Amino acid sequence: MTDPRFNDPFTRRQLLRRAAVGGAALSLPSLLAACGSGGGISAQSNAGGASTEVKQQLADKLTISNWPLYIDIDEKTKKRPTVDDFTKATGVSVKYIEDVNDNEEWFGKFQAQLSQGQAIGRDLTVLTDWMAARMVRLGYVQKKDKSAIPNEKNLVSTLQHPTWDENRDYSLPWQSGMTGIAYNSKETGPVTSVKQLFTDPKLKGKVTCLTEMPDTMGLIMQSNGDDPTKVGPAAFDKAIGTLKDAVDSGQIRRFTGNDYGDDLSSGNVAAAMAWSGDVVQLQLDNPALRFVLPDDGGMIWTDNMLIPTGGDVFTASTWMNFVYDPKVAAQIEDYVNYICPVDGARDVLLKDDPGVAKNTLIFPTDEMLSNVKAFDTEAADNPDYKEKFQTVTGA
Amino acid sequence: MLHSRRWITPYLLLLPGLLWLAVFFLVPMYYLGYTSLESGDLFTGYTFSWAWDNYRDAFTLYRSHFIRSLEYAGLATILAFLISYPLAYWIAFRGGRWKNLFLLLIIAPFFVTYLIRTLAWKTILADDGFVLSILRDLHLVSSDGRLLATTTAVVAGITYNFLPFMALPIYVSLEQIDTRLIEAAEDLYASRPRAFLKVTFPLSLPGVFAGTLLTFIPAAGDFINAQLLGTPKQQMIGNVIERRFKEVADYPQAAALSFVLMAAILILILVYARSVGTERVTTGTA
Amino acid sequence: MTTAVETVVASRNRPGALTRAWAFVRRHTLTFFAMLAFAYLLVPIAVVVAFSFNDPIGRFNFTWQGFTLKNWAHPFAYPDLGGAVRLSIEIAFFSSIVATIIGTLMALALVRYQFRGQGATNLLIFLPMATPEIVMGSSLLTLFLNFGNPFKLGFITILIAHIMFNISFVVVTVRARLAGYDRHLEEAAMDLFANPWVTFFRVTLPLIAPGILAGFLLAFALSVDDFVITYLVSGADVTFPLFVWGAARVAIPPQINVIGSAIFFIAVAFMLANVLWQRRQPKGAV
Repeated sequence: MTDPRFNDPFTRRQLLRRAAVGGAALSLPSLLAACGSGGGISAQSNAGGASTEVKQQLADKLTISNWPLYIDIDEKTKKRPTVDDFTKATGVSVKYIEDVNDNEEWFGKFQAQLSQGQAIGRDLTVLTDWMAARMVRLGYVQKKDKSAIPNEKNLVSTLQHPTWDENRDYSLPWQSGMTGIAYNSKETGPVTSVKQLFTDPKLKGKVTCLTEMPDTMGLIMQSNGDDPTKVGPAAFDKAIGTLKDAVDSGQIRRFTGNDYGDDLSSGNVAAAMAWSGDVVQLQLDNPALRFVLPDDGGMIWTDNMLIPTGGDVFTASTWMNFVYDPKVAAQIEDYVNYICPVDGARDVLLKDDPGVAKNTLIFPTDEMLSNVKAFDTEAADNPDYKEKFQTVTGA
Repeated sequence: MLHSRRWITPYLLLLPGLLWLAVFFLVPMYYLGYTSLESGDLFTGYTFSWAWDNYRDAFTLYRSHFIRSLEYAGLATILAFLISYPLAYWIAFRGGRWKNLFLLLIIAPFFVTYLIRTLAWKTILADDGFVLSILRDLHLVSSDGRLLATTTAVVAGITYNFLPFMALPIYVSLEQIDTRLIEAAEDLYASRPRAFLKVTFPLSLPGVFAGTLLTFIPAAGDFINAQLLGTPKQQMIGNVIERRFKEVADYPQAAALSFVLMAAILILILVYARSVGTERVTTGTA
Repeated sequence: MTTAVETVVASRNRPGALTRAWAFVRRHTLTFFAMLAFAYLLVPIAVVVAFSFNDPIGRFNFTWQGFTLKNWAHPFAYPDLGGAVRLSIEIAFFSSIVATIIGTLMALALVRYQFRGQGATNLLIFLPMATPEIVMGSSLLTLFLNFGNPFKLGFITILIAHIMFNISFVVVTVRARLAGYDRHLEEAAMDLFANPWVTFFRVTLPLIAPGILAGFLLAFALSVDDFVITYLVSGADVTFPLFVWGAARVAIPPQINVIGSAIFFIAVAFMLANVLWQRRQPKGAV
């Protein structure tokens, strides 16, 4: 009897683990015992992540958790070409669930199970780098099977050695994005630095920043001359001070998720900290919008494929390999329009869709890539830093 | 009718509801209470340690957020009342056959998800939009002022969101008032307004009371309006709780804050109920 | 009195134009105000409907680009959108019905009877309304995970959660109706030899029906719009608000406006049909 909640093939280990949890939970004393282990909210450091012996055998089914609209869709047939191509090529049927709405919310949803080493019914999930780093640190993910991913060599060089997963043992980028400044050229002249964003009186009350701490603080730190890849308390506090001044003076209108888009389009906001992928879309309807990386440097973030506890490592790795084929990557990229992590996709697109291939927000130049940094993922999870940031943003 | 089994009837009626709430609310609340007394963080694990300082922090660090939330919720409730009462009155007494249709129209905005509703309002109230330019001409807004990203926007958003919760209960109370009572009052030489004040309004109090509760209570814990329509200065306690839970992953603090919020709301309800005279309101007996 | 005298007297007593105008305004103020209130409620909906005909080039629906019917022709262009809508409606429908039944029973118990534990029950009704959604959702999730199999995360758990938070709203709404309700009618019925069941179904229920309907509508609205609690307990199932919030990171397709508008129009059409059908019923039919 397969527990339909979990779509993995049953392994004996999982059966025993589940029976233990299920049976224990059904008695009141064990309810309290469960509370004793933290009321369901506890973290057991499972350093390194349990990697089962990888059977080089494809499972029947692959369950993928991804962000909505983050893979190519054929709007006429309402199907996902890449997913179907994968099934055709490997015979594995794919359950593709678009249920990652928010990194923290996703984490909050599965944390209890992961902390107890339970499978969560997903073979693959896609999370932003600081959250991926957290998953690795907590031991909630498994190592991928590199022998099944020869195409990994196509990974662009800038993303090959992130600080939180030096050898890319656990993760592989899905898409990237840059964080910079987007401004409406009808409302203002070029806005090229964070300093200008925060101090130009003409922009007062018409500026927004991001609720994502790594993005906002990363940009400010670079503007202050500090390095966001290695965050120290003094540098962070200095950046907090800069931010607080801008908030108190009324320069910053509000802190947004990606809902700055509608404010920018309507002219409520003249300049915003923004993500490159959004601007690609917004520009289509508002050619007056521009995206620049600040003079002092922008940020780069990556959404990464990960194999959570209980996922089928080999099948998930096969998927990773499939999407790193330049032709497949080009097909995905043509729709998604964030930054492609696969070398060679651009060349394919130069033939098929030169507009996308030449868009520097989708295929940034080397110069742009040298001007962006990734935020220190450990700092991104530092409770003290997070607390300070939240206080400045109002909560 | 004094059947001996009569004493059990209320309990039988309550049983399904109580069971449901006991299992699906009280038990989770127990877990939550347990969590609120834990300490630790995501990486070191959370351990139960009678951490009462979570509660102390809730009071000291976030007092302004609590007060602000109660203020906004109160304002929104009053505004909702001012708009809803005449609306409910009109539907109840002038709605005729079409009453149910009008009721549907009141909740219709909920069919369009919150994000799209808010986007529509942002379009309407855009800084450079039609409505704002009129307001500036009327000098209701300063020439470089805005409506979005202000306290006004947040309170207006909350009001709009909870309007049906005020209107519907008032409607149900008003609708059952026997119009002959009003006629009788007028026959006794009461003017229209006086008849309203002395007959109609008091009879509608149960609905007003219900509507106030249904609006104020959830509004105080709201976070979404402040998130999409507010600046850092408008953030409510709901935002604090949400951020502590999500971004900071400080589950114990979030849990403690929740309990403090619930307690604050309950105290206010008690005060309100006392002043309105609940017995009359909830049981219909003087 | 002869007609001539009447006419003379009448013309002397006929109010002047200004007074007539003022009387007109006074008589119709209420209607005017109600219309304003409806406008306030529905103008954003009009904007939503308008933007459902937009033809943006990019993936966001912020700027008006041009009129098109293709969104309405292909409302379910995105693979998971149709399923999400259906799930939302199903859950809203079922959870509202169950919550209305349970809530009505509870309201009856609370208003009609005096019993021990009345205060505690009242408290229990208010608490869920006062609990911040994110903590209620996550504590429910903890419960579901701890009990495992009977509560498979998905449709069942979403349904359970929605019923849970809806009960309170229904109770408070129905109670407002019951509070003003005249018990003498029931006593009269029973004096006429109707047993308690008959009395309930043929006297009580029809008279409190507007309250029950209002409670149902409120519950439906809350359920259809819920995001936070639903997200945490939904497992892999996606409801309409979940889809919208998730997709909003990369796109806000006009199809969402289409769906919202369509649901609104369909609901209105149903209500209209209901009203017109009832009109056809011969008078006096019960």
